[in-house]
Amino acid sequence: MRGVNLKSLVGVSVLLVLVSCGHNIEVEGTIPTPRIAALPVNVGIYYSEEFRSFEHEEVIEDIGSWKISLGEQNFVFFQRLMDSMFEETQDVPEPPLRPEQLVGLDGVVVPEIVKYGFLTPSISGLNFYSASIHYRVTLFDSEGEKVHEWTIVGYGKSETGLFNRDSALKEATVMAIRDGGARIAIDIPRAADVLSWVADARGGAS
Amino acid sequence: MNLTVRMLAALCVIAILSGCVSSRIEQSRTARTGMSSEDALVILGRASYNDRETEASFTECLNEAVGEGRDPLRLVSEIEFKDLMYPWFEPRTAPANVDELVKLFAQPGVRDQIEASQVRYIAWINGDTITTGKGGSLACTLSTVGGGCFGVSFWEQDASYEASIWDLENMTSAGAISADATGTSYLAGVILPIPLVARPGNAACKALATQLKEFLLTEES
Repeated sequence: MRGVNLKSLVGVSVLLVLVSCGHNIEVEGTIPTPRIAALPVNVGIYYSEEFRSFEHEEVIEDIGSWKISLGEQNFVFFQRLMDSMFEETQDVPEPPLRPEQLVGLDGVVVPEIVKYGFLTPSISGLNFYSASIHYRVTLFDSEGEKVHEWTIVGYGKSETGLFNRDSALKEATVMAIRDGGARIAIDIPRAADVLSWVADARGGAS
Repeated sequence: MNLTVRMLAALCVIAILSGCVSSRIEQSRTARTGMSSEDALVILGRASYNDRETEASFTECLNEAVGEGRDPLRLVSEIEFKDLMYPWFEPRTAPANVDELVKLFAQPGVRDQIEASQVRYIAWINGDTITTGKGGSLACTLSTVGGGCFGVSFWEQDASYEASIWDLENMTSAGAISADATGTSYLAGVILPIPLVARPGNAACKALATQLKEFLLTEES
């Protein structure tokens, strides 16, 4: 009986240590509608399965294992972002597309997450969590030729308290998505390549 | 005897809750202000990418103090405003001055959205609370025959914040209010550790909120 109690105690202790060292973070936040003028084009958007359900897993010595699921928040955020950036959008399969799949489209946009990273106060020595997301956005024209490829880094940070470490990283990740989205919404429509692509798509009208 | 003990306890509670804080408030006005009951204010913390920026807890305190009590102002929350105006008020895209605000209003839909939300003023909050010094010595021991803490340690904090107020109707900077508060907190060990906590950040928040209300509601030029 005493042996059983000891085993139970050890088991519960090990479980507690494992639970306390594991961080499972589901990123959630508001989804704003961008206040920007839509480009007068009809584009296809390809969201890969990896983009739709992106997860970052990392084991850091001394502070345990981390699993950050940002895919769903990021995917819904980008759907709204793309719907605001372009007059008409529709989901398409992975490029390259066959000519019949490009009919009626002025181009195809492929957003990707290249890399996600985060820093904890114990690593950075600062009193906040920070997160960064490296996005790659590729634009193809109506013939499937690459118009341009952009790499954009979204960055976010959030203060930490004694008992809100996971929510601080969640908030920093939401801010990184917003920051990356803001750069995409503002910078891409102003790019020279995009302006000439839009002009071509509208039959040379600027 | 009973009364003496109660008074002593009450004094201890008051000492623990208050602490010693001195604060100073300054204001400069550059334009006429005034708010109707439909007008709203939004309080935004100015973000930066270095290790110091206005704490979210300070802007939350300010929102609470401005939106409640005597002469409460109608507020739009920071997150609601940033969502309404996305992507124009994010840390890296927000206008840094009134000239940039004028350019921002030329963007499609921005002016309409501001008018629909009835936000008349933005108060940009800059500043933070830092520990400027600490000292003293406090030691605690625990043994089989008992334990306790002996000594005194202290730390000084300086809270310095500024609110820059923009009038969105007239597209001008209406002025600025600064609040500074300093306080020293003590942890005295008399067997039990007794904290005497000063809260300069809270004092600066209350002072700034009171002045902000007066600044916006008083129709002065």
